[in-house]
Amino acid sequence: MTEKKSLKPVPVTQPWTEEFWKAAKQHKFLIQHCHDCDINIFYPRKFCPDCWGTNLGWIEASGRGKLHTYTVTHYGVEQRFAADLPFVLALVDMEEGIRVMTRIVNCKHENLKCDMPVELTWEDLDENFSLYFFQPAKA
Amino acid sequence: MGRGKLAIIGIGEMPTGWYPDMADWDMINNTCKEAIEDAGLDKNDIEGVITVNPMAQPKLQSEIGFGKIPEELGLKGCKDICIVNAGGATTTNCLRMAEHWVNNGIAKTVLINHVTRHSGIDPEMAINFFATAGIDLQWEYPFGMTYNAVMALGATRYMYETGATEEDIAAVCVMMRQWAELDPNARFRKPLTLEKVLESRMVSTPLRSYMCNVLSDGAAAMVVTSGELAPQISKTPVYKLGESVRYTGATATQRKGRTGAEGRSAAQEALDQAGLTLGDMDILELYVAYPMGFLRVLETLGICEPGKAGQFVREGHCSPGGKLPCSTIGELSRGHTGSGVSMAYYVECARQLMGKAGERQVPNAKYLLTNAAGGSGMNMIWSVFGRDIP
Repeated sequence: MTEKKSLKPVPVTQPWTEEFWKAAKQHKFLIQHCHDCDINIFYPRKFCPDCWGTNLGWIEASGRGKLHTYTVTHYGVEQRFAADLPFVLALVDMEEGIRVMTRIVNCKHENLKCDMPVELTWEDLDENFSLYFFQPAKA
Repeated sequence: MGRGKLAIIGIGEMPTGWYPDMADWDMINNTCKEAIEDAGLDKNDIEGVITVNPMAQPKLQSEIGFGKIPEELGLKGCKDICIVNAGGATTTNCLRMAEHWVNNGIAKTVLINHVTRHSGIDPEMAINFFATAGIDLQWEYPFGMTYNAVMALGATRYMYETGATEEDIAAVCVMMRQWAELDPNARFRKPLTLEKVLESRMVSTPLRSYMCNVLSDGAAAMVVTSGELAPQISKTPVYKLGESVRYTGATATQRKGRTGAEGRSAAQEALDQAGLTLGDMDILELYVAYPMGFLRVLETLGICEPGKAGQFVREGHCSPGGKLPCSTIGELSRGHTGSGVSMAYYVECARQLMGKAGERQVPNAKYLLTNAAGGSGMNMIWSVFGRDIP
């Protein structure tokens, strides 16, 4: 079997975000946590953006969140994304107090509403990367 | 930086458009010459040149960054040059640097200019440049994020929170077109109706194609000097009276403070520095790039209640002849010249206060408030300009 190489852009990582993407490949969403000032951090940094501490670790997200806002994109994307059209881009507020940019999938566009509950799901991009997507929370 | 320490004394600008056959340096030569002549100066009086970095044009970037403008134009009194880059907020920084130069013995008069020729950029490079400029390559781009989508995300939330409608957003496009109809430098000048905006192609909900920018070619220039020298050189100097800024964040997930109390307090600081109030402003030259941003700014400033700015715009208050003339270059119909857009605003600020705005002239305009921002909203800068120092 040949390796699947993504035609889409993969995340351009930094040394301190590699662990995040490694876990993402296992469909685990890790949130960076500062043990010194006890805050959750997104996106992962080299130093805690609050206290500049380096006593940083990871917690695993519950996967639950709220749809802060969204847009259904119909037109005006690069060719490499064209096959996905129309697709839903969104900002989701995760239960752990962080906000992420993501896509909403497995949904009827007309049923989307700001502040509705959503849950984590995954999209495999290639052999190295999976992207965190969200879908409407099951009741 | 201080009240009345910097003055704009000359302006030059070419119509925004699409000029695939025009040479970059044609645009630079013409606009710089026009600004220097408008200031009533000899070319050799210019002692410094500060240029907006043409981000998407590497050839021009290196030619200008390595000093070609004074040589090309024969500015024999020029002592130094610099190229500045802060995306859409670049011109503000050109003005700040010039303020330092003219008040600290580096140069008595400074030429500030920009040139953008989107039509001259290799199409493949252009697609990639605009797909990723201001979009984070790790946390945004892989999801298919675009500038339009970033703005659309803000619009969806704005509508949800305030009850504003698609018609409210479309009304801003119509209002801006009314100004553009009167502006010989605008690219799109035919009358535009609300219906036409609402029937245009859906790009990224709720944004339709008439609500999005059209990349264009353009060039402009200004001559500035110190507040002290300005009245000796010019009969119509335009003074920078106040300025304030907030950094709000590079990526959309991290950004805060653009609107609401924080945005308002930033604008208030600029007014306080000028010694003026919002009520003293004859014009609001609001640089927003997208129409819902315009509504949010009116509400942030406290001019309208949340969700009511669309109605205010529809009632014609921001249009030519309205009680609060706004964005008199009709930005959305002007054509987007990349980092040059805010230059177009500063040139218009000067033009209105010099009384040279032709059919768009706001009668007796004395003071105005303007704003600028860079990237997909990394900062918010407020400035007050005036015909005199109050």
